[in-house]
Amino acid sequence: MNPLLAQFLAEANDLLASVDDGLLQLERNPGDPELVNEVFRAAHTFKGSSGLFDFPELTRLTHAAEDLLDAVRGGRLALDSGMADDLLAAFDLIRGWLAHVTAHERLPATAGQDAAGLITKLRAPLGGETVATDQGQEPSAVRRIDPPPEWLAPLGTEWLIETAAWLSTTASTLRFVRYLPDQDCFFRAEDPLHLVRQVPGLDRMTVIRPEQWPPREEYDEYACLLSFVVATRASTGELEYLFRYVPDQISIVELDGAAINRHLEGEEAEDLETVPAAAPDALHVDARLAADARAVLTAAHRTLAVGEPTGTQLLALIGSVTSAALALGVPLDLTGADREAVNAAVEGVLGRAPIEPAATPPAVDHPVLAALAAPPAATPAGAPADLPAARADDPGGQVGTRVLKVDQEKVDRLMELVGELNVAKNGLTFLAAAAEEEFGSRALSRRIKDQYSGMHRIAEELQAAVMDVRMLPLSVAFGRFPRLVRDLSRRLGKTIELVTEGDDTMADKDVIEALGDPLVHLVRNSLDHGIETSDERIAAGKPGTARLTLAAVADGDAVLVEVSDDGRGVDPMRVKRKAYEKGLISEEELESLSDTEAVDLVFRAGFSTADQISDLSGRGVGMDAVRASVEKLGGTVTMRSELGSGTVTRLRLPLSMAVTQVMVVSVAGQRFGVPVDLVVETVRVPAAEMGRVLHQDVVVMRGEVVPVIDLARALQMPWAPDDSRDRAVLIVSVNGQRVGLLVEQFHREVDVILKPMEGLLAYADEFSGTALLGDGLVLLVLNLKEVLGLAARAA
Amino acid sequence: MTTVMLVDDSATMLMSLKSILTKAGYTVETAGHGKEALDKLGKGLKPNLIISDVNMPQMDGITFVREARKSPGMRFTPMLMLTTESEQSKRAEAKTAGATGWLVKPVGPDQLLGVIKQVLPGA
Amino acid sequence: MPLELHDENASLIGVVTVDEVEQLVGWLRSSQRPRVSLRRCNHLHTGALQALLLFRPKISAAPKDAFLAAQVLPLLTGAGGDTSRQGNEPP
Repeated sequence: MNPLLAQFLAEANDLLASVDDGLLQLERNPGDPELVNEVFRAAHTFKGSSGLFDFPELTRLTHAAEDLLDAVRGGRLALDSGMADDLLAAFDLIRGWLAHVTAHERLPATAGQDAAGLITKLRAPLGGETVATDQGQEPSAVRRIDPPPEWLAPLGTEWLIETAAWLSTTASTLRFVRYLPDQDCFFRAEDPLHLVRQVPGLDRMTVIRPEQWPPREEYDEYACLLSFVVATRASTGELEYLFRYVPDQISIVELDGAAINRHLEGEEAEDLETVPAAAPDALHVDARLAADARAVLTAAHRTLAVGEPTGTQLLALIGSVTSAALALGVPLDLTGADREAVNAAVEGVLGRAPIEPAATPPAVDHPVLAALAAPPAATPAGAPADLPAARADDPGGQVGTRVLKVDQEKVDRLMELVGELNVAKNGLTFLAAAAEEEFGSRALSRRIKDQYSGMHRIAEELQAAVMDVRMLPLSVAFGRFPRLVRDLSRRLGKTIELVTEGDDTMADKDVIEALGDPLVHLVRNSLDHGIETSDERIAAGKPGTARLTLAAVADGDAVLVEVSDDGRGVDPMRVKRKAYEKGLISEEELESLSDTEAVDLVFRAGFSTADQISDLSGRGVGMDAVRASVEKLGGTVTMRSELGSGTVTRLRLPLSMAVTQVMVVSVAGQRFGVPVDLVVETVRVPAAEMGRVLHQDVVVMRGEVVPVIDLARALQMPWAPDDSRDRAVLIVSVNGQRVGLLVEQFHREVDVILKPMEGLLAYADEFSGTALLGDGLVLLVLNLKEVLGLAARAA
Repeated sequence: MTTVMLVDDSATMLMSLKSILTKAGYTVETAGHGKEALDKLGKGLKPNLIISDVNMPQMDGITFVREARKSPGMRFTPMLMLTTESEQSKRAEAKTAGATGWLVKPVGPDQLLGVIKQVLPGA
Repeated sequence: MPLELHDENASLIGVVTVDEVEQLVGWLRSSQRPRVSLRRCNHLHTGALQALLLFRPKISAAPKDAFLAAQVLPLLTGAGGDTSRQGNEPP
């Protein structure tokens, strides 16, 4: 896929989410100008980007939506929920199209047809279909296009090309202002930057620095030397009003795409000369960066002089030399170069053969060095397209750190490689064992183990670093709920306020993704069954508007997510009766179960309290499915409820699920993994000490009777324990209960990357995933709950 | 706390502007003409913004602005002139004297507060 | 106080007016490797921006203010140049 399109699709998701979010908030606070602006900006940016591709329907539809929003922004229209519905529908349609674009790189054939009706609807409040874009903003029907001034150049050629393209696509114009403040303007209390930030619909601002700064010691801080060029959607009238006190310092022009193109054609060559700053960033040499780059080269030179780096060491050195040289504006190709060639290149760049030790800055730990030591992130040619700018809006982010938007697949690939590294590392322990057992060399075995522990530490750090990249805020999982709650509450005729807390809590992307479905289940359940209608609520003495809260908080290496409502709560008596009627509990349990235990019954398979199944949550949405999927993630789910005042469902999930420590055991010659956090201990019990209570094998441990499951029998594998040997029993804790697993042999604990079951095994619930072992064999990791269930059925 | 100094010989004008500003949370100091205002500045008053009429007895607004700019701490203080629609030429003169901008009488709350926001960052 | 000045680190806080420019420039002149945090800065007077552009201190924290973050910060942190990569999406 064309990288620009890929970038657009990546960005589009965020933009669509903020449009959705903004529209929903706007419905609640229709007058909020900041919100209108936000939605408008997102829609506007979206349209702008869409104009770069040949998707005329997309541009037309977003254009119509933008015009409607612009009218709302300008106060000419009040947003009502009908308009909000149309706008949401428009962006939903777009979302659908983009999915199609992702797969086929073109819009669906029906796009024009689908869009037509919506465009008419969106245009209706504006007085029907219209060609004018700035309708209402300027009374004059004929737009005056000015000749392009030369001072457009500082806006940057690239930006001008893009802008001209979309202006032509949408047949619209932009206003451009050049502001040349007087040198002594500060003494009239003018603050040009403050004026510029008040420009409405500001699209781009550039600051023109003096061609020649005065020497620092002569610098007069009260002489204004800066000037500004601004591109804006504001009308000429708005601009004239804003700049009314400085009319002699500004020029305003209105330009369309053709006018900008004329500027580009006529003056491009000159631009490049007069505006060196428009050149790609990577070619620009910052003094401090240059000093650091020189330090890297000097260090490399010294390394080459004293040592003889080979192999990966030399490769790493070449990497940092290339980056440093690039930072100094000297592109080098040292692919396959030997030590001498690298040395020559370094000396060439440094421009001197001998090293001046005094010139070596002590700043070896400077962050720039680290950045330089990494493979070059940007090449001059690729920089504009491949490297999104530093996310300056990243709140509190360290400045100067470039944020890369990285394809998820690449991070997954990295994680896979970390997994393989772990596997290879684990292979060393097998090798150490072999060295000792097969070759009888204890010393070699120890040295391999030493090597192993070194690698283990690096692998752990690498893994932590990659995991950190995979962390996403919970807001990603919460993002869809404002819309869901709005739509469902409208259909159900309930008034619900959605509150989210702790959106910035981070968790692994797999956890975030897997959390989606359970959360939807829970929220739907709340809306459908928990929350009453306004009338019922008022009759019960509660506020008419119900409150649904999604909250997340980090708790050690777990994340807690709570879905709570202030609805009618769960009636434990009713739950127990239902469960009894459905044969889920015995008559005895009907009497004896506590309220808390009763509430927990809703998670039983086949349970549903709804008297009538609604079309919302009736479609196979059971709480048992929620519990199953949460447990599949290695989490737990609990529910607390108070009759009449609400329900809280709490999910506890691991922060990351990428790496699991498993204990390897074998039965019938086949190895299986058991998650280490479930393992209590491993014991060997003489066959004679195994007991039997009510057809169940048991072992007595410290006075406690622990049932023992024969793993081979549960998995239907042909194996019988050898009566002459002690029984190997793995004591595990499942659902707070201790159970022994009878196995053939214990092996070691290993770190594995758990992969979900695929293909034929996908339906084998007794396994939670597969992992690759150091010796290349595939390990099946047991889902102990299911295994215990199997054993119970087999018995 | 933002202090605004109003300079006008019309008590009605002072009162109307003062009530708008006070309601908007500004502290207001008033003076009936340029001389009185300069006296107050000389005694150490440091308003964040000055709004002055053009035509006043004793000392006109433009002279006042020119003099006020020389007062200690007043170099960078925004100063706005109250002008009528017909006083176009005075505006240019006022700018040269050091005024930041102007208001056109009659001055309503929106215009007044809008302009203050425009010329006073953080107001 | 809009300026918090230390040996090599400074924080600009709230609205930095023209009255603070002289002090800021004095500090930038005397500091060896100045580092400036804009995190809590809401507005910079043009004179302050000009001083930062001339002395090019290291910006140690990005402003929370949207305008400063989107339009001004890139001028101070980029490898230089009048054109910022920020906000270059077509309108």
